[in-house]
Amino acid sequence: MKKKMIFSDFFRNNGLGMGSLLIGLVGFWLIFLIILPQLSMLDYSFRFNLPPAEQGGPKDVYTLSNYQHLLYGSDTSHQTYNSVDLKVFLRTILAAMLVTLFNIILCYPLAYFLGQSKGSRTVRLLVVLLIIPYWINEILRAFALRIIFGDSGLLNEALMFLHLTSEPIDFIRQDIALYAGLGYAYILLMLFPMYNVIESLDRNQIEAARDMGASWLRIHRRIVIPHAKPGIVSGATMVFMLTAGALAAPQILGGPSSLWFTQLVYQWFNDSLNWQQGAAYAIVLLISTIIIVLTVMRIFKVNMGDIGK
Amino acid sequence: MNSATVVRIALGAYLLIFFSYLLGPLAVMSLTAFNSAAFPSVSPWACFSFEWFRVLYDDKHIRDGIYYSIIIGIGTVILSVSMGLAASILLTQIWPRLRSTYYTLIIAPILIPGVVLGISTLVFWDRVGNFLGASDGSFLHGVFHNGIFLTILGQSAFIASYAMLVFVARLQRFDPGLTEAALDLGASHTQAFRKILLPFMRPAIASAAVLAFLASFENYNTTTFTIIDYKTLTTVLAQKVRLGINPSISSLAFIIIVLTIFAALAFEAVQRNRQRKEGIQQGKQKPDTKSVVPPFLRGNSAAIILVLLAFVVIAMISVAQSYSAEECKVRVRDARQIEIQKRIDELNKARAVKEQAKPKPSEAPAGKTPSAPATNGAFGNVFDPNNLTNETPKPEAPGGSGAFGNVFDPNNLNNDN
Repeated sequence: MKKKMIFSDFFRNNGLGMGSLLIGLVGFWLIFLIILPQLSMLDYSFRFNLPPAEQGGPKDVYTLSNYQHLLYGSDTSHQTYNSVDLKVFLRTILAAMLVTLFNIILCYPLAYFLGQSKGSRTVRLLVVLLIIPYWINEILRAFALRIIFGDSGLLNEALMFLHLTSEPIDFIRQDIALYAGLGYAYILLMLFPMYNVIESLDRNQIEAARDMGASWLRIHRRIVIPHAKPGIVSGATMVFMLTAGALAAPQILGGPSSLWFTQLVYQWFNDSLNWQQGAAYAIVLLISTIIIVLTVMRIFKVNMGDIGK
Repeated sequence: MNSATVVRIALGAYLLIFFSYLLGPLAVMSLTAFNSAAFPSVSPWACFSFEWFRVLYDDKHIRDGIYYSIIIGIGTVILSVSMGLAASILLTQIWPRLRSTYYTLIIAPILIPGVVLGISTLVFWDRVGNFLGASDGSFLHGVFHNGIFLTILGQSAFIASYAMLVFVARLQRFDPGLTEAALDLGASHTQAFRKILLPFMRPAIASAAVLAFLASFENYNTTTFTIIDYKTLTTVLAQKVRLGINPSISSLAFIIIVLTIFAALAFEAVQRNRQRKEGIQQGKQKPDTKSVVPPFLRGNSAAIILVLLAFVVIAMISVAQSYSAEECKVRVRDARQIEIQKRIDELNKARAVKEQAKPKPSEAPAGKTPSAPATNGAFGNVFDPNNLTNETPKPEAPGGSGAFGNVFDPNNLNNDN
């Protein structure tokens, strides 16, 4: 009954034509582009990889085997864990967390500086300078880092020129290039939300605290950081999700022996043509990252509504 | 030194580090586009050359990729901007208790990994095709397995959220009273939307469209799953970078960087020009009629830099038409030959010294005495592939075999030092 009233209100406010257009567009988006595809992927992940002739036949039943594969590998005894894939998974999650933390530490001072010296010409120039790398393709940015970190890259040449090292350091194999690239890829998504919230902080609060003798550290801990919390968490959420789900940077900058979890998904889809297995891995990635983000948001008492501001 | 100076120095150093981390790689990459060396690098620098732009221009895959990226970008802009606008209008009208759930739903696509969105789109439309009974080769099957169609849907799923965020920010300043007044005065709902809300939203629509196009153009994670047998610029680039890199990719990056700087400067210049005009209208500034500089450039540093940059680019293109790196390349090749020669000489000398140190049968001196420099000519082309079969060094062998026999032994390099 109540729902009907809402809908009639809605159509009275918008007219039948406009109202149905609005509902239709949003409905198409949410149902056909988000909800149903996710559900169908979930459904897929519980099925066997069957040849087309057997699909829908008696063998086409639900199974947990795709998830078991991640845990125990392909052997049927289920005695030993699938240490390769699990290690990749844990490494992806941990590295994504570290990259996020690194981005917070690197961006906070700049966000504070930009946010507090608002309006000046230098700041506007700096913001324009910041936006430029943001518009450059992700692949090209990874490529740029590869040029620098390569065996005969600029960094190695410089280190050898300064006699800091005699042999070229293999940054790619040691994953240094990968972590630098991941930190580089989404750093601006951390900076801008932080900058936006710090810009809205009233300068007088800081002045007042300083007048009353608060130390520099205390001002940040008690005033700036609590105020900037929604921005920090929002930026951290985006950086974490994007880093854990990154594909381009690991493909380009990753060492030959180390994989990112998305690369496993990619391999199941494109190399092994086992979509069901790939879907299961993708579901694991999606659910575990969402759980981590929701936990962090609960710990820091930030709402979903703060994301994207 | 007081603490304020320390803070200032620390801040300066920090800004320097931050911006070199952010911009340095792009600058290095741009430079490599002009180095004639086949592997993208700045050091050692071979020749200043424009040849990689030519290679880029002749690359059919990249041109195809750009073509499809633009088509997909346009489709994504249309779909995601209209969905985002509709979603943001609904957000302002929805029942308050549903509001936060609804917001979570429409913001969630930003947080879903692109890989997952790509996979789910692929799987879902494959299923829809099967459900509708589309058999292989039929029209429906073709549509649901068409890379362009799937990519537009997959990308729009999350780009619509970005567009929605832009619209929400603008809608907060909209006065719903305006629409109500229009309706009271007898306008239809469609008219009210077209004449009141749409004009108000126009700047936001423009920026959301630009944002959506850029996001679509540079998307990789979703596209790589949904594109199937088509190519976009990013998938072509990713393939190239993974298989084997050459500086033509740098030249593409350079072009994109220059275009970005142009766009940013143009935007800034237009902003400042508008501020200036508003200033004149409000009587704060007097229109200066005496100056010879066109009004658009006056006191507008962004516009001035823009014009200068345009001149630089034009000059560069005209130089590129006539400039040839051939001469320099020959010189570099010669220089490298000399370098190799020198290294061989050093090797020989070191070898000779070692031989001297060792007590050796009487034939040894023949190798290190004056004859040694004379034989170098024979080793000058040591790296010529024909050498191994020709064996030109042989004539000296009777006298020099003791001295030169092991010159190319891999252990030699380590022993000599």
